[in-house]
Amino acid sequence: MSKTETGSPEKKGKWTRRAFIGAGVVAGSALVVGVAVRQGNPVNRLNPLLANGKDERLLNAWVKVDADNIVTAVIPHVEMGQGVYTALAQMLADEMDADWNRVRILEAPADMQYVSDSIARDFLAPDLEVPALFEPTVAGGILELAQAMGLQFTGGSYSVRATGQRAMRTAGAAAREMLVAAAASEWQVPAGEISTANSMITHARSGSSAPFSQFALAAAEQSLPARPTLKTPDKYTIMGQPKARHDIPEKVDGSAIFGIDANVPGMKYAAVKAPPVIGATVESMDASTAKTMPGVLQILNMGDFVAVVADGYWQAQQALSSIDTKYSKTEGDGLDQEAIFARYASHLDDAGEDGGDSETEEGDVAKGFADAAVKVEAEYKVPFLAHAAMEPMNCTAWVRDGKCDVWSGHQAPVKARQAAADAAGLPFEDVTYHNAYLGGGFGRRAQGDYIAMATRIAKATGYPVKMIWSREEDTAQDFYRPSATSRFRGGLDKDGRLVSWDNIHTHLFDPKDAPTVPYYKIASHKIRKVEVPMQLRFGPWRSVDHSQHGFFIESFVDELAHAAGKDGYAFRRELLADSPRHLKVLDTAAKMSGWDTPLPDKHGRGIALVPSFGSIVAQVAEVDMSGSKPKVTKVYVAADPGFVINPDGFTAQMESAIAYGLTAALYGDITLASGKVQQSNFHDYPMLRMGEMPAIEVALINGDHQHLGGGGEPGLPPIAPAVTNAIFAATGKRIRELPLAKHDFA
Amino acid sequence: MTPARTFACLSVFLLAACGADPAPEPVEQIIVRQPDTPPAAIAAAAVATAAPTSALIAEGKAAFANCSVCHAVAKGAPHGAGPNLFGIVGKPAGQAAGFAYSDALKTSGIIWTAAELDSFIAGPATKIPGTTMMAGPMADAAKRQAVIAFLESSDAS
Repeated sequence: MSKTETGSPEKKGKWTRRAFIGAGVVAGSALVVGVAVRQGNPVNRLNPLLANGKDERLLNAWVKVDADNIVTAVIPHVEMGQGVYTALAQMLADEMDADWNRVRILEAPADMQYVSDSIARDFLAPDLEVPALFEPTVAGGILELAQAMGLQFTGGSYSVRATGQRAMRTAGAAAREMLVAAAASEWQVPAGEISTANSMITHARSGSSAPFSQFALAAAEQSLPARPTLKTPDKYTIMGQPKARHDIPEKVDGSAIFGIDANVPGMKYAAVKAPPVIGATVESMDASTAKTMPGVLQILNMGDFVAVVADGYWQAQQALSSIDTKYSKTEGDGLDQEAIFARYASHLDDAGEDGGDSETEEGDVAKGFADAAVKVEAEYKVPFLAHAAMEPMNCTAWVRDGKCDVWSGHQAPVKARQAAADAAGLPFEDVTYHNAYLGGGFGRRAQGDYIAMATRIAKATGYPVKMIWSREEDTAQDFYRPSATSRFRGGLDKDGRLVSWDNIHTHLFDPKDAPTVPYYKIASHKIRKVEVPMQLRFGPWRSVDHSQHGFFIESFVDELAHAAGKDGYAFRRELLADSPRHLKVLDTAAKMSGWDTPLPDKHGRGIALVPSFGSIVAQVAEVDMSGSKPKVTKVYVAADPGFVINPDGFTAQMESAIAYGLTAALYGDITLASGKVQQSNFHDYPMLRMGEMPAIEVALINGDHQHLGGGGEPGLPPIAPAVTNAIFAATGKRIRELPLAKHDFA
Repeated sequence: MTPARTFACLSVFLLAACGADPAPEPVEQIIVRQPDTPPAAIAAAAVATAAPTSALIAEGKAAFANCSVCHAVAKGAPHGAGPNLFGIVGKPAGQAAGFAYSDALKTSGIIWTAAELDSFIAGPATKIPGTTMMAGPMADAAKRQAVIAFLESSDAS
């Protein structure tokens, strides 16, 4: 850090470290409040990734008040279409009583420098205990929050429920109390008599009134309240309102800057190709034609990929296509689709009825089965999936004079900065990472691979280079959603009640509760997994393991209902006898759909309920099976995320999760042949078309305002089983393997 | 299941992908020229080898630039988002090996004569409702003729 303290402050967009420390204000701003996560918690083990020195502090949420009474919310999350800027700003502005029309939003820089020890001392009382500051957090929340903020990670449907609930609201409430305290001191009136609204401070009895900005400087002198009082829902004025998305106007008029829009003077373009078999290396390349092609500047064998740098991207891509490359042999060379599922099957066979790693077990499953009047067994399979973000992976980098600048869109900017530092062989502080909007993330942009690749190319050339992956490369070099096989055994008593549940499935990544069903009342259950070694790269994919297990569980529950001679909705109602919030969500979706009303011939309705990331979502899908392939005509959604901060934004997340999940259910299928991914572009890895998009109705339920759930992912897991259960209702054909494109419905 | 556990696991997921791989330098680095060097010699060579056989075909090749985002026109070249159109003139529609055509195109029974190609390019979705070719109509008849001439020439040389 010491390097940057000499001379002029290092520019980070609008940020300078010196401004924070020296004046206690940002230039032009009079009050800055940050919420800190202190050392002494387990975030220390992440320090090598996060911080420059052992004394540093992580500050995660900021608000500043400018002289012109503009309140700026500093958002430590990235915007990838999920509306997080707006929802988090709403949480801060509401607690602060800010005028929503005068709230600005700034994404926090990927920078640890301004979160130093001295800043923490300047802005927070030195003896402040963080757990007190973070009231009301749930037990254990500090660790989770520290990790989220330290990584500056956006994912896991965490932004609103963790950062928003525990940091943005706290920062807003603390800023408000400091402003009130400053006004009370100046006006010589009790703080309790002062009210705030629309960025104004008012003392009614004396007729005093002033904008926030008037007391911002004085407020900065106030000690930060250890336990700022948060509002109860009846006092919310901005939370719960469908405020317009902050990022929409610039996305409509085209002025929004995405990572791929980076424009650096003198920048050249790189096209890249990695070995089609993951894990292989480049043994040799014949670039004799490429060398002669127009615009070509450099041809690089980087060992793990080949790159062509040219004046234009098209030229780079054309030259790259002309290169004849030989790759090393790997253990995965012969691997194909059938072999992978055969490998899963043999591991599951070996585990049998009692083997594998136990995840949960309760009651006597063996006895449950022995006593069961009806036994049901089923096996389900789901394929590998690519993320297929609309904006292909890309990154612009410039390594020169011991410094590195990197421009991209990444879900974890600090991690991206670290990846660039490692690739450039430079210290973290000599790398500046510029984050832009993400044209889709879905978990793919949580990986550091593309940042490192661009940085290595830029380091080799010495001039700025924009690396853009072709769609083919994006599809074939993903960190895939793992394929999986899951086997179930279920036992029903003579009254058709579920008494035993045994599930064994291949690998489990995250979240660990994905295969579990604690909300369903089942007398005995056990859930196990087997690890199956694979050379492919796996990564989180929107809703992560819930994407597989939502389909597995809700398909099997439907089969059990059928075996019990019961309707899928009525059967689930029985299972949810002890889970009133879940039951309300299920009932709401069923009621919206007119569950008991008849449908035309060859039409069917299916229901599914999956709680994930703290939110409970039920969906009823209607399908029309009169054609040669399923047509999903309508989806009814009921969702309870505790409290909906922005109903418009949350509804949009339900809709987009259905579009993404339905795409996967209908078509998504990454397959391997001879170790290579066979899909390359949208013709063989199709997306849902506009004409295939069902009409969607969404009902929102605020079931517990103190424990919020996420919005980005929970809408996805129920859609596949709702559709396949509807297909069963319409045709009697049970779908146990996705995607639906594999099945013949003619 | 606590939220904290969930995140801890997710973080592992992230960190694992980050890894501690060294950043290997290039195994081989071919510097063709520096960015500030004019590419005169190379450009001349490229032009010399790519002399068009006729003005119409050259015009067609230029007009095909937009199409080439999806379609290759070279023997043995892989399909892109659209099929490789090498030697397409005279062939039955929707039959190239290894490409997933729409049902509409596959079952159209069309033989791609110049006239059929012309009416297709003039309005793909009108000519074959259900085609997954996303291109809009090419309204300029002269340009269509040039493109067809270019496609016809693809397997003539």
